[in-house]
Amino acid sequence: MSEVQRRKYSQEEKNSIFDGEFMPHIDSMYNFAYRLTFDEDDAKDLVQDTYLKAYRFINSFEQGTNAKAWLFRILKNSFINEYRKKSKQPAKVDYQEVETYYNSDDVDFRGTTDLRAESVKDMIGDEISNALNSLAVDFRTVIILCDLEGFTYEEMAKILDIPIGTVRSRLHRARNLLKEKLKGYAQHMGYNTDEEE
Amino acid sequence: MDKKEESAGERKLQCSDVSKCFELLESILDGEMGDPGKEVLKEKLAKCQPCFEHYHLEQAIRDLLKTKCSKQAVPGELVDSIRTKISDIK
Ligand SMILES: [Zn+2]
Repeated sequence: MSEVQRRKYSQEEKNSIFDGEFMPHIDSMYNFAYRLTFDEDDAKDLVQDTYLKAYRFINSFEQGTNAKAWLFRILKNSFINEYRKKSKQPAKVDYQEVETYYNSDDVDFRGTTDLRAESVKDMIGDEISNALNSLAVDFRTVIILCDLEGFTYEEMAKILDIPIGTVRSRLHRARNLLKEKLKGYAQHMGYNTDEEE
Repeated sequence: MDKKEESAGERKLQCSDVSKCFELLESILDGEMGDPGKEVLKEKLAKCQPCFEHYHLEQAIRDLLKTKCSKQAVPGELVDSIRTKISDIK
């Protein structure tokens, strides 16, 4: 949420921003929340909480800027600050640990898998969804933001409060992890994963 | 250079800087490089086999994510519940 209050909107303006710029993103918001929590009730709470905060802080939203990115940032912060604390399910990876460990922009972009594009094309929705869901939340998040929601690196950097270089390297690691999972499925299905010599 | 495979005929089999190339390819696929990226891409794909393969794998994964990831329908009562809560604080 932006710290600066630019100006006060009238009640009418608030309603129009809320209905015209915030509510149209409910589908993406709910799916993001569901992919973070894997639980319908938790996802509903998280989305509702996000929309209430968005309304309460609507004066810090600048009309004409990217409402979807603004909302995603609130949702992600709510998830980290509130949901994750009260969740019965302990986070698989400690966020701080991931931050310090993975925040290096130095990443080796050499390919690590011998997965083939042909075998990826034959995969079904369950396989890709399961592979994505099995990633640690920070890796899952960058893939959701980039590939499913189409945010730019710059928007992702703002949503996640990390430098663009970190976005790029985290995405690369995330996709490599995803490839490893998909390779497992490909082998299980008997697709050939060896490189052609 | 021997041309045993038509598609790979003109491409070198070793990439001179895999790490740099792949990072660039991934940025291009993510739409971060704009039009200059398309030029760079054309050249890389025509000249380098590892880049060619990496590009197609990365593209297949992005397509798979984009088109096949299961989506949840928003529960019907969620929108109403948000609106009720908002009108309470108005
Ligand atoms: Zn190359």
